[in-house]
Amino acid sequence: MAQAALIDPSHPPEQSTAPRPAAVEIAGVTKTFQRRTGGTHLALAPIDLAVADGEFVSILGPSGCGKSTLLYIVGGFVPPSTGAVTVGGRPVTGPGPDRGPVFQEFALFPWKTVLGNVAYGPRQAGASKADAETKARGLLARVGLSAYETFYPKELSGGMKQRVAIARTLAYDPAILLMDEPFGALDAHTRLKLQNDLLALWERDRKTVLFVTHAVDEAVYLSDRIVVMSRQPGRIKEIVPVDLPRPRHRDELLLDARYQRYVIDIERLIEDPPEEAGA
Amino acid sequence: MIRAWRSDALVGILPLAALVALWWGIVAAGLAPRALLPSPVAVFGRTLASVADPAFLLHAWATLSRLFAGFLVALVLGVGLGLAGATNRFVGGVLRPVVRILAPVPKIALYPAFVLSLGFGDASKIVLVVADALFPILLATYQGAARVEPKLVWSALAAGTSRRAAVWTVVLPATLPSILTGSRIGLVVACIVVFLAEMITSTDGLGYLLVRAARSFQTVEMFVPLIAISALGLALNGALAALRRRLLAGFPNED
Ligand SMILES: Nc1ncnc2c1ncn2[C@@H]1O[C@H](COP(=O)(O)OP(=O)(O)OP(=O)(O)O)[C@@H](O)[C@H]1O
Ligand SMILES: [Mg+2]
Repeated sequence: MAQAALIDPSHPPEQSTAPRPAAVEIAGVTKTFQRRTGGTHLALAPIDLAVADGEFVSILGPSGCGKSTLLYIVGGFVPPSTGAVTVGGRPVTGPGPDRGPVFQEFALFPWKTVLGNVAYGPRQAGASKADAETKARGLLARVGLSAYETFYPKELSGGMKQRVAIARTLAYDPAILLMDEPFGALDAHTRLKLQNDLLALWERDRKTVLFVTHAVDEAVYLSDRIVVMSRQPGRIKEIVPVDLPRPRHRDELLLDARYQRYVIDIERLIEDPPEEAGA
Repeated sequence: MIRAWRSDALVGILPLAALVALWWGIVAAGLAPRALLPSPVAVFGRTLASVADPAFLLHAWATLSRLFAGFLVALVLGVGLGLAGATNRFVGGVLRPVVRILAPVPKIALYPAFVLSLGFGDASKIVLVVADALFPILLATYQGAARVEPKLVWSALAAGTSRRAAVWTVVLPATLPSILTGSRIGLVVACIVVFLAEMITSTDGLGYLLVRAARSFQTVEMFVPLIAISALGLALNGALAALRRRLLAGFPNED
């Protein structure tokens, strides 16, 4: 199973050193929801955030602070109430294949097999059925699910479903991955495995990643920067750059005092009630 | 699986058998005049004989073809309008009040108007079947399509699919369970209404056979088309259930 990684050993990781331009620019984004009972609910206070090309940024925060909402706005699935998001210099007006979402609930197409799910993107982009399936098989091999291509999603475990969902998104090669608690529904063991796979994938492809999570250790392990949000209204409390060398190895990091420091500091940041944060 | 299915079928047949036994008991005990309630032996005997009779089969075919034509038109219209109404704000805005007004109207009341404008032939009966089978299919499709998990559609849009294409590649297949449920109801309604229309004005079809037999007090003959239409309904329902199992293989199991 150790070989069933998200990496394809035939392609060595691409070296990237030069500073990259901002891939995602979130400027003054707010979101107000109409309440059923009449009033309005400010879910996101103005959010400003620039994510560099190839950067891995995690968003941490208490439940209901607007992490998903922010990700949906970047994805173009939900419009912001005010403010704007630009991706690669162009304003976001709707979803596009430059931004690939991975949802906590997987959102696989239940009527399609594993292969059909992964082949969906290439097929929609105009590839022939055979080409799309070849591409899908390659991706399924990368996520270690070659043996399951004829299965329906309902016949898979949670971890397998999330691998399929990741493969389905990678199939149209988005420059930016928008991951909303992708490992939140998984058991601890599967979670670690997928974290490692994701890290290996990212070290190879250097896609820009916006990664929402509840788990502080996960955020520190994976990220270049961690955005800590607070609630009511949802806003950025602090942005913590994670200055740990890469490639990172979990067993080494756990012994690393700097890693431990990050985890402790960020846990404290989240524990603080937002009122006392003095924004 | 097979064993469970068999015992299900057995349980389904039991009440039917009980009904026939009750019927036979009533007749045997002389509780009902023979002229009104013939014995089940005579009725099933005549039904079996009819199945081999080409004239009877022509009548059955007339009913079946009207039923199919009407049901298929209702299916295409119902699914098309339901999807359009759920995915297009404008269409939805126009459709909802119209459906609200038309759905509860007893369509059979419109039948005289259909006959006047379309004649006594197949067209008026098919239109009646469409009018009656349309709404269960349309409503089920609309509600199913309106409830499709948005993240399924988002996943498609993010893959570069246009909104229009997402209706066909995501909303339609995701709505399939609802569409099949609506179709099941539409099919039953179609069976009822095609028979009714043939009873009112027709020169062929199972409904016509029943009226013809009733006019000459041939009670045994009266039961034959009734049994034929319920057998037809049962067979179509079975075919739909088989289709459902095939098409919904990937969906979470219901019932
Ligand atoms: N469609 C909606 N209509 C009304 N309010 C909404 C809607 N979606 C989200 N909200 C509100 O916006 C706020 C942020 O929700 P969001 O789902 O973005 O939080 P979250 O940080 O992702 O939470 P979690 O960690 O539990 O997933 C919540 O207070 C929620 O009630
Ligand atoms: Mg969320």
